Amino acid sequence: MRSVARLLKFAGQSVLRNFWLSFVTTSVLLLTLFTVNMLIVMNVLADATINSIEDKVQVEVYFNQGTSEDIQKSVHGYLAALPQVKDVAVISAADSLEAFRILHADDPEVLAALAEVGGNPIGDSLLISANNPADFEFILAALDSSPEYAPYIKEKNFADHQAVIDRLSDFSDQVRWGGLGLAGFFVLISVLIVFNTIRVAIYVHRDEIAVMKLVGAQDWFVRGPFLLEAVFYSAAATTIMAAICGFILKFLEPQIRSFFTGVDVSLTTYYWEKALLIFGAQFLALAALSMITTLFAMRKYLKI
Amino acid sequence: MITFKNVSKIYKPETKALDGVSFHIRPGEFVSVVGTSGSGKTTLAKLLFAEESPTRGSIHLGDWDISKIRRAEIPVLRRQIGVVFQDYKLLPKKTAFENVAFALEVAGAATSRIREVVPQVLKIVGLSDKMHRYPRQLSGGEQQRVAIARALVHRPKIILADEPTGNLDAITSREIIELLKRINDVGTTVLLVTHDREIVNAMRRRVITIQQGKIVSDVEHGKYHLG
Repeated sequence: MRSVARLLKFAGQSVLRNFWLSFVTTSVLLLTLFTVNMLIVMNVLADATINSIEDKVQVEVYFNQGTSEDIQKSVHGYLAALPQVKDVAVISAADSLEAFRILHADDPEVLAALAEVGGNPIGDSLLISANNPADFEFILAALDSSPEYAPYIKEKNFADHQAVIDRLSDFSDQVRWGGLGLAGFFVLISVLIVFNTIRVAIYVHRDEIAVMKLVGAQDWFVRGPFLLEAVFYSAAATTIMAAICGFILKFLEPQIRSFFTGVDVSLTTYYWEKALLIFGAQFLALAALSMITTLFAMRKYLKI
Repeated sequence: MITFKNVSKIYKPETKALDGVSFHIRPGEFVSVVGTSGSGKTTLAKLLFAEESPTRGSIHLGDWDISKIRRAEIPVLRRQIGVVFQDYKLLPKKTAFENVAFALEVAGAATSRIREVVPQVLKIVGLSDKMHRYPRQLSGGEQQRVAIARALVHRPKIILADEPTGNLDAITSREIIELLKRINDVGTTVLLVTHDREIVNAMRRRVITIQQGKIVSDVEHGKYHLG
């Protein structure tokens, strides 16, 4: 316990004696954590957006004009019995027409064409919700492959939704890869900076190290302060990062919410609920990285 | 106490620093190891201190074979051998008290023990009134006294002094040697590595003379007889 206290004291002295070097090291580690947290935020927002869209995805299956109500009920029953189907609602032709008019209210050409056709060209339809959007393919295939019901189906409007989800997923993946690349770059910079900091610290303390050897200090006592120094930098960077995250989220959350209207996302809640896990993991990863780098620096420069 | 048996040390590629050196030092002896520069006397000190390991032969400290010492045992050995060097090796940003205390701190001694022991050893070397001065505020002789106090703080069985008077004037050198003799008088074995003729001749103690890595004489009440 006494020795640990002295190791902490020596490590603390080293950090303070090389204040500007410590400052730069902590700043670079902070930048690394910043990119990691940017990645986390983007991930949360992208996932929330995709989930939100996926929840809204529904497929409309239109019947041919004149399809009897019995057939419609049979198709309804067939689809509702599928385990992949969450809900099936029957939309009457009149409701479909009304929805079509509302959807194209700003498009006079479409409305004019509708008027020219006269009557209600839209048949009755079924609005299907799936437990998982990926299941739509199976559901629609099941409908297409049914010789009993397929002849009554006029069209299905699934493809557009899937395209949006696919594009969003692609974009989100690209952002994620870009963020990972940036984080990797900062990790590399951090490794180099920590390595140099420890190299300088070993040089600055060369007299103390020589005297430690002279008076019979154990190897771990000579090496310990440098490893603890790396932990100090990691702890300082993580603590500052947590404070910055709290500050930024407090002021940016309203803007983020208004930008992502309709998407159920609260970054503050996400961070608050997982703060220990998020920052604990970041600290452990950063400390491990810094300590491994320190071990390499000591191996090269600290001759005991 | 200390036994060198047929010890050789060869630095690559073919520099023979010591060549078949054998001697035995009894507990409580005061022995001077003399020789010209490059004769191998500092190598001998380094071997005893486990800073180097012999190429051949064995070195025993009591029952302990230092030539086969494990890395983890070296700190334990070094706490039993107090070492004093020509350049003092004091930490400039620490006071005399802190320099001596540092040796106990790194060994894990309790703070209460440090507060008790450090003033005692500083008193032995005559620096009670200067314990809070920094090395730059002390004379060369006083700095060497601090180094001796640091060497004494673990209460070692042996003091190994490698050219302790090399940077000091004649009067101060005599004071340092007197201090080492007083330490020897209370039972501590002292091994003095030097090439200072006057000091060796004035002491009339055992003298081991090394030349070109070999012991050329080992005399109980010897003198410095190298050219």
